[in-house]
Amino acid sequence: MRVELQINGEKSLVEIKPAALLLDVLRELGLQGAKRGCETSHCGACTVLVNGEAAHSCVVLAARATGKEITTIEGLAQDGDLDDLQKLFLKFGALQCGYCTPGMIMAAKALVDRNKNPTLEEVRTALDGNLCRCTGYTSIFKAVLAYAELHRKE
Amino acid sequence: MNMSSAIGRPIERVDGREMVSGRAVYGVDVKLPGMLWGKVLRSPIPHGRLVHIDVEKAKKIPGVRAVITSKDVPAKRFGFAIKDETIFAVDKVRYVGDAVAAVAAVDEDTAEEAIGLIDVEYEELPAVFDPEEACLDGAPLVHEEMGTYEPNRGRSPTWKPILGTNIIHQAVHARGNVEEALAKSDFVFEDTFRTNQIHHCYMEPHAAVAQVESGKITVWSCAQEVFPIRSILADLFGVPESRIRVVATKVGGGFGGKIAPRLEPYAIALALKTSRPVKIVMTRPEEFSAAAGSAPAVVYIKTGVQKDGTLKAREMKFIWDTGAYSEGLPPSNRALKDGIGGYRTPDFRITSTLVYTNKLRATPLRGLGVPEATWAVESQMDMIAHKLGMDPLEFRLKNALEEGDINSVGDVVHSIGLKQCLHEVAKEIGWGKPKKKDVGRGLALITKSPTTTGSISGAYVHFNEDGSAQVLVGASEIGQGSLTALSQIAAEELGIPVDSVGIVAADTAVCPFDQGTFSSRVTLYTGMAVKAAAAEAKKQLLEIASQITEIPEQDLEVDQQKIISKKHQGLCISFKEVMERAHTNMKPILGKGWAGGKGDWPGLPHKLKGKEPTPGSKYGAQAVELEVDKETGVVKILKMVSAHDAGCTINPLTLDGQIVGGAVMGMGYALYERIQFEDGRVTNPSFMDYKIPSSHEIPEIVPIRVEVPLPEGPFGAKGAGELAGLGVAPAVANAIFDALKVRIKELPLDPETVLAAIERHDKSNVAI
Repeated sequence: MRVELQINGEKSLVEIKPAALLLDVLRELGLQGAKRGCETSHCGACTVLVNGEAAHSCVVLAARATGKEITTIEGLAQDGDLDDLQKLFLKFGALQCGYCTPGMIMAAKALVDRNKNPTLEEVRTALDGNLCRCTGYTSIFKAVLAYAELHRKE
Repeated sequence: MNMSSAIGRPIERVDGREMVSGRAVYGVDVKLPGMLWGKVLRSPIPHGRLVHIDVEKAKKIPGVRAVITSKDVPAKRFGFAIKDETIFAVDKVRYVGDAVAAVAAVDEDTAEEAIGLIDVEYEELPAVFDPEEACLDGAPLVHEEMGTYEPNRGRSPTWKPILGTNIIHQAVHARGNVEEALAKSDFVFEDTFRTNQIHHCYMEPHAAVAQVESGKITVWSCAQEVFPIRSILADLFGVPESRIRVVATKVGGGFGGKIAPRLEPYAIALALKTSRPVKIVMTRPEEFSAAAGSAPAVVYIKTGVQKDGTLKAREMKFIWDTGAYSEGLPPSNRALKDGIGGYRTPDFRITSTLVYTNKLRATPLRGLGVPEATWAVESQMDMIAHKLGMDPLEFRLKNALEEGDINSVGDVVHSIGLKQCLHEVAKEIGWGKPKKKDVGRGLALITKSPTTTGSISGAYVHFNEDGSAQVLVGASEIGQGSLTALSQIAAEELGIPVDSVGIVAADTAVCPFDQGTFSSRVTLYTGMAVKAAAAEAKKQLLEIASQITEIPEQDLEVDQQKIISKKHQGLCISFKEVMERAHTNMKPILGKGWAGGKGDWPGLPHKLKGKEPTPGSKYGAQAVELEVDKETGVVKILKMVSAHDAGCTINPLTLDGQIVGGAVMGMGYALYERIQFEDGRVTNPSFMDYKIPSSHEIPEIVPIRVEVPLPEGPFGAKGAGELAGLGVAPAVANAIFDALKVRIKELPLDPETVLAAIERHDKSNVAI
């Protein structure tokens, strides 16, 4: 079937199988930032934004994403300039192997977009669906809280 | 800290931008034109004869390009430690997960469908799952042909199998007369501790893409050790190493789980068969049931101690469960060397017995056998202290290694910050201060040496024409930040900014040899190699500058990408000018360096005395504070403090990342993690059923850097990585004892285990 998807602000007509998962369709389109880590929606490496909400794209049917605004990690940097959240992940060392990073950043982005003053507990809750085996999470918490603070000042 | 220096600064990851942008190419992201997808069919039974395989139905599926079994691949045995496996099972399968056949198809779904249509007839054999039972007479043999096996090159020089049994390796490391010393000790303590097999749980599953073109094989995979993997693959497929190239992609976490070939042989075999590039990626259930886990051990420990708390002797016996294949050998050997812990122990004997069972294989996992040893030693140290009426901190301080002591491998200990680490964590955790009911504090001392034997690192440093530099190293970046640390080391030695250093790693076609990324060795070994290569490149640059300026080399020095004369102020020639001349009509600059071997690398000021010198031993201490809910058995960690003597810090950002991340991984090992088996089958192969720490459970974590410079390290660094997780489990068990006076000797310390221990304790108290 042919569907229209709006990804990172651009509309595309895409030929997909009816049961195709959004993650696979994005990766086929060359947007490989979202990763498969578990197939069961437990690791969050595949997190993207669907209408601004964090979604695990490994369990979203691509066909159900038509008419919705999909944002992937590739959509954050503008004209080659990293988004502040991306910069803060680097500054705070909030990444090691980096495999969970795109999903982690998108989940954090969804949080701060709806709550500019999150508590540490709210950050923990927002990232509960995103596993990281390398960092021990604390540097990620710091980066997200710093991003929220920066956002409040703007 | 020198502000102009590249060393000791929290420089952001040099490969960070690609990672935060989603542009980094991991094994799972490699795509080639015409690429097929491969899948491996795995045994559903733990032990059985292969009677018949029928692949005809699978071959008929549209889109299937090849179905292969043992008949289609080299019959040769290969293996990371001992050559005890074949690509596909030949006459029998040895665990639930053993590879039986593989398919290449136009897409993943078709390959999956075809795999399901391969008919395999098995004749089940009695299986053995418990390593202690596997040692008994009459136990089913996992490998009947052990007598014909060979070790993998220099990897296992001390290999000692016991033929006709399941014991693939038994080794002893000893000093003095342990029986006599135990007999003369005032007290002797004897305990047995148990650990579980845990999974590495790197977030990126194994992935490999193989391409065969004009008789040359190229493999892209998320590999920790490209050169050892290349050697194994070349031997297996009977091609010279010059015709096989292994390239590490971005590695989405390793922790030891990606040191050996896992999918590469299947991708190559399918690529050879189809003449098309073939990609294979493991699913998460496949990761849990057919990749590998840690080497779990039963640890028997007997310690002799004097009334005043002086350690006299220690005997340890490890029974390691290596599962169906022998990759558990390196952990079993490492525990021999480091197992007794960081204490003065005049007489000791350690015996490691590595046993086959019909289960998932073991492989090194962050600490290589030392987590299991540390669990036993550091738990028992507290038990001894309590019996002697000593403070566990005092007891450790009394016996902890210090400058000039002889360590367990016979080296003279130097540059050691162990006691300082103990003091630092005790202070930060509030040791000895009042605490609430059901709250406990626990300590553990931690130490580990990097594996030296047969471990070499090389590096090349070139200058580019604009005066920037290019570094080539063979060790994979697996997330620890090695590309950044090595760039800092090169920048410092060359006197140029870090962003003027380009670095390429882990491609066997272009990089110099490196044994790879394991055992906390890259900052030290590859780092020393980079430093030496950069020094040589700088020397060559000065030689050329001297020829150009006609000023003797000794009168020239390097300053901010320029060469200046010490005598003539104002004379100055930029690196760029030198390089333009060098590349026009003089010669290129090619610095090379190396480190490793017997610790005897250029510039090593301390000649280490042991038979297997271990430069760069790491030292540290772990403390935890926790609260136990006696009704539910739930342990809540309130605070973790980790002090690490990693030598001088190259990059505080990445070092703290290692310390904190390691502590949290150690927390998983302590509290949650266990691969569960039922008749040899893994019953929790998902992140739903196998829990790793998530954002909700993270306590306050304080990393402390204790920087005792290592003279033979790059700018005084020792490195880090594995130490971080070693001490958490015993520190947690010690803290539970501190809270409840209940001692637990098995892992994980999950609510069921803790509750059962509380009940046993309450009953035995009633009985008294």
